[in-house]
Amino acid sequence: MKILVPVKRVIDYNVKVRVKADGSGVDLANVKMSMNPFDEIAVEAALRLREAGQADEIVVVSIGVKQSQETLRTALAMGADRAILIEATTDVQTDIEPLAVAKLLAAVVAQEAPGLVICGKQAIDNDMNATGQMLSALLGWSQATFASELAIEGDSAIVTREVDGGLQTIKVSMPTIVTVDLRLNEPRYASLPNIMKAKKKPLDEKTPADYGVDVSPRLAVVKTVEPAGRKAGVKVGSVDELIAKLKDEAGVI
Amino acid sequence: MPKDGLTLTTQHDPILPGLTALTSDAVRAATTLLSQAQATVKDRVSDGGRVVAALVDTHQGAAHGLAWLATVVESLRQMQNWADSLVAHGTFGKTEQLLQQLAFGEYLNQIIGGIPMNQTEFVRPQDMGLRAQDIAAFQTPAVMLLCQQGNTAPARMALVTALRHAQGSATFGASGLEDELEMIRDQFRRYAQEKVIPHAHQWHLDDSLIPMEIIEELSEMGVFGLTIPEEFGGLGLPKAAMVVVSEELSRGYVGVGSLGTRSEIAAELILCGGTDAQKAHWLPKLASGEILPTAVFTEPNTGSDLGALRTRAVKDGDDWRVTGNKTWITHAARTHVMTLLARTDPNTTDYRGLSMFLAEKIPGSDDTPFPTPGMTGGEIEVLGYRGMKEYELAFDGFHVKGENLLGGVEGQGFKQLMQTFESARIQTAARAIGVAQSALDLGLRYAEDRKQFGKSLIEFPRVADKLAMMAVEITVARQLTYHSAREKDQDRRCDLEAGMAKLLAARVAWASADNALQIHGGNGFALEYAISRVLCDARILNIFEGAAEIQAQVIARRLFELS
Repeated sequence: MKILVPVKRVIDYNVKVRVKADGSGVDLANVKMSMNPFDEIAVEAALRLREAGQADEIVVVSIGVKQSQETLRTALAMGADRAILIEATTDVQTDIEPLAVAKLLAAVVAQEAPGLVICGKQAIDNDMNATGQMLSALLGWSQATFASELAIEGDSAIVTREVDGGLQTIKVSMPTIVTVDLRLNEPRYASLPNIMKAKKKPLDEKTPADYGVDVSPRLAVVKTVEPAGRKAGVKVGSVDELIAKLKDEAGVI
Repeated sequence: MPKDGLTLTTQHDPILPGLTALTSDAVRAATTLLSQAQATVKDRVSDGGRVVAALVDTHQGAAHGLAWLATVVESLRQMQNWADSLVAHGTFGKTEQLLQQLAFGEYLNQIIGGIPMNQTEFVRPQDMGLRAQDIAAFQTPAVMLLCQQGNTAPARMALVTALRHAQGSATFGASGLEDELEMIRDQFRRYAQEKVIPHAHQWHLDDSLIPMEIIEELSEMGVFGLTIPEEFGGLGLPKAAMVVVSEELSRGYVGVGSLGTRSEIAAELILCGGTDAQKAHWLPKLASGEILPTAVFTEPNTGSDLGALRTRAVKDGDDWRVTGNKTWITHAARTHVMTLLARTDPNTTDYRGLSMFLAEKIPGSDDTPFPTPGMTGGEIEVLGYRGMKEYELAFDGFHVKGENLLGGVEGQGFKQLMQTFESARIQTAARAIGVAQSALDLGLRYAEDRKQFGKSLIEFPRVADKLAMMAVEITVARQLTYHSAREKDQDRRCDLEAGMAKLLAARVAWASADNALQIHGGNGFALEYAISRVLCDARILNIFEGAAEIQAQVIARRLFELS
């Protein structure tokens, strides 16, 4: 079985995010970028299935600027077999919308014919949480989102999902789209030999035109603002005063 | 007037026009001055055209000053190479330009006004016999412009703004290294952030050994076989890769960054001096991390003067019996083999009668640290650089197999050890850079978070200046170290450059740790804060692998050979 893992280049989780002066978005110039952490978990899940003998090839794909190559190389260094880069923009500030990404992925799926697509449940930059679900709809495949456990049994995937109030285990028929949650696994560090091997692994460069997909935006960002700073607190004199404030001012009780 | 210089940065671009042309000119001027100083100092320490050791000692200040001047000039040369290469790749951005300008502004002024060998000893041009006209000739228009407008308050403030924006980046400013090396950096940085930094301070406070789990994980990642050739089970990576790995692991904790040092020294010893059988036997085991080595050279009465050591190895049939005392043996208890330097020719008193052994021992446990017969040891409690522990060892008729004489020939030990110095110094420079960078990381975060007088500390120029100069000097030390590593990878002699890199990086690490602690104020003095450990760890870097004074001496001697 072949597994397809889409990976996104996003602002590194260690970076203190700054909004651009004109409020049009987050400033990404000279900012440290990395693989979306949920996508790392997806790559790791694919590697483990291959190590368990349940998959024989892992293809990673990234859609965005040319620099997404670095993200793909990281996935290759972790152990993926080959990579596809779809250069959909030259502007680091441009985010390709989930529907466009899903359409491109559907086209890649048509070419590659994987038995399983594993993606992160969302990207930490815009938190859309949409691509996996849209891809499922476009392909007419089953989907299992927010996976915290994943097992392949015959023609089905058994997926434990993190849902409000607990865990839900579902069985979906293959081929399927699995989107992964934080607790599925702890991604490995790429070892030195694998990092050196990564540069020799194939990386195909494509454009949206190769797949006949229009990636022009359909959404408009109205404005981007930083969260309001924390306001100074007050000291209350007594428990009664605290209760009164919670009741009357905060309205929480 | 703008308050605290803050708004100055938005009014004028602090970067000088034509920067790289100016700095290129300055490198030429500095090179000329250095050759003048080389000539005058050499003249002072020579008699009848030959350098005399006693005269070098008499004029030690001038000789060591020359070593420092040469280090500064080489640093500027490497910064220029770095800048030129970034310009060629179109990546010489604002941060990099500020680093370049501040480095030149500061170091050119130091050449004229005094280069700090440490906090109280400065070397000034007249100390090396340079005359007023030499200094005047050095002060070309480019040098003067960089001296006056290179290291300015607005430039430092602009750099700190860039640092604040770049938080989370692996390095401040482009490293100039290949993409694979930066990918290696990213992986090891992530490993250090997740597996080392959360525990390092507690390991230090508990004075405990780094857990075996860490060593096993590093083995899996390939740390111990990094530069060992592939035919011997290693990865055959360049020294530059070793530098990046050492940097990032030391940035997590110097103890973790130093785990590879002993394997590096042992492997280098065996590669350079070992027989084919020794290479085939030992190198794959070192590379896999299955065998951990420890370096057993220093003795209670022979530190820097290693050639005078007295531990004896006496023939016992085909084998050897070792008797004597050793000290400052890092990681002695838990390791499997000692690279042991001992005297095999009792009729000698200098380096000529020494031989190197690959002496096997049984790894100890907490209860019985030294279970091997003929060997006892005791722990030396230390200020910092914990995690592997330091020991003094006593050997009494300790058995070493005949086949474990390195190279199979007696009397080669000192020469064999000398061949490893380049690598060891490059690796130590990398460790120092990692420690310096961790100090900058801690100082920057504290300066952002801590508020006094209604604003973050970083908004006060005296705090920001400290951070700016840390970033500048770390960049300089990096470029000098990467240069040495590249020279080593090209199989070119680089003892001079490696020594300079180690000398400078150790000073930079200490200055960075000291200044980052200063930014912490009283909290930095509390054991609770990580910077207190980084200060203790930084202190060793000026001492081990060639103390700063020895390093300067070695550099000076080599400069006399070359001039």
